[in-house]
Amino acid sequence: MSRYDVNVILYRLKKDAEFRSRFQHDARALLADADLTDEERGAFLSWDTRRLNELGGLLHLIVSIPHLGH
Amino acid sequence: MGRLVYAAAMSHVLHPEYYEKNVGPSGRRMVEALIDVVRDMGRAMLDTRPDALVVIADDHLNVFSFDAVPALCVRIGRWVDRMTQDDAIEFDRALDGLPARYALHEDLANRILERGLEEGFDFAASWSAPLDHAFLSPVATLCGDRPAPPLIPFWVNCFVAPQPTPRRCFAAGRHIARVIDEGPWDVAVIATGGLSHFPELSLARMGQSDPAFDRRIVRLLEAGDHEPLSSLTIKELHETGSHELLNWLVLIGAVSPARARVRFFGEMGRVDLAALEWDVR
Repeated sequence: MSRYDVNVILYRLKKDAEFRSRFQHDARALLADADLTDEERGAFLSWDTRRLNELGGLLHLIVSIPHLGH
Repeated sequence: MGRLVYAAAMSHVLHPEYYEKNVGPSGRRMVEALIDVVRDMGRAMLDTRPDALVVIADDHLNVFSFDAVPALCVRIGRWVDRMTQDDAIEFDRALDGLPARYALHEDLANRILERGLEEGFDFAASWSAPLDHAFLSPVATLCGDRPAPPLIPFWVNCFVAPQPTPRRCFAAGRHIARVIDEGPWDVAVIATGGLSHFPELSLARMGQSDPAFDRRIVRLLEAGDHEPLSSLTIKELHETGSHELLNWLVLIGAVSPARARVRFFGEMGRVDLAALEWDVR
């Protein structure tokens, strides 16, 4: 269960512009060491926000990340 | 002896542009009508000349991140800052243009915290947490061009399971009322957020509300029938999208058994909007 890690990444995508820029440039490299399941990693890499939400990503984070959309 | 001089609850995204974008012109018109009512309520609040304003609201994962989420938290210290959010979207835009810093009522905040620990409420304390729209959109609308009274921000964890129970929130409100009663100050208390939206915190269900549930809540508040409200379960709140009713339950504990007067109620579809006052003087 890495719901914590999912939400920490979502939080950083909202709050940390540099982290968000690296995510947009090369999400796979950025998340290489993150403690995520394959499903969670896949949802981030395809920016599947519904799936991230279903996997425990908090709605208020998902809808308020600049530039990435939901 | 202190007095609770004003009490109210209201929706907290008082930002027409948000509703224009997400609902359309009808949403904008409805929130503009609510804003007019809240401004009028603010004049009544400030006319009581409160020494302090307790604001009970929730964090939208802006302040406490995911590393430590307090169930109930009192903001202490001398000042509190507005949250800043680069490239803000959605409800964070409601903070645009608001003052950057607000005075706190340090003595009352400390007393709520310290008396709480003596009485069995192990509130968290924060010296640094900033305020997001849940606090500042209502405060700014209530106060307009007049200075806001010194604030006591009080956070309720509405969104990160496991949340405090409605009954515990009600009891926390009773505690706040006792502390006000013991002190020398005239105090206004507001709770923000509230009616149903974002059921199950599900992205797929955004845009839905539960008007039947909201009508029932408002009827109970008008009747001063608080036991059924304290008996609500977190599951009911989650399924209907009424998570932020936990903020209101703290206020209801503080004013019980007073009956609410509905100043505004509007069913928008995406969220139901409301503003209520209690006769506490």
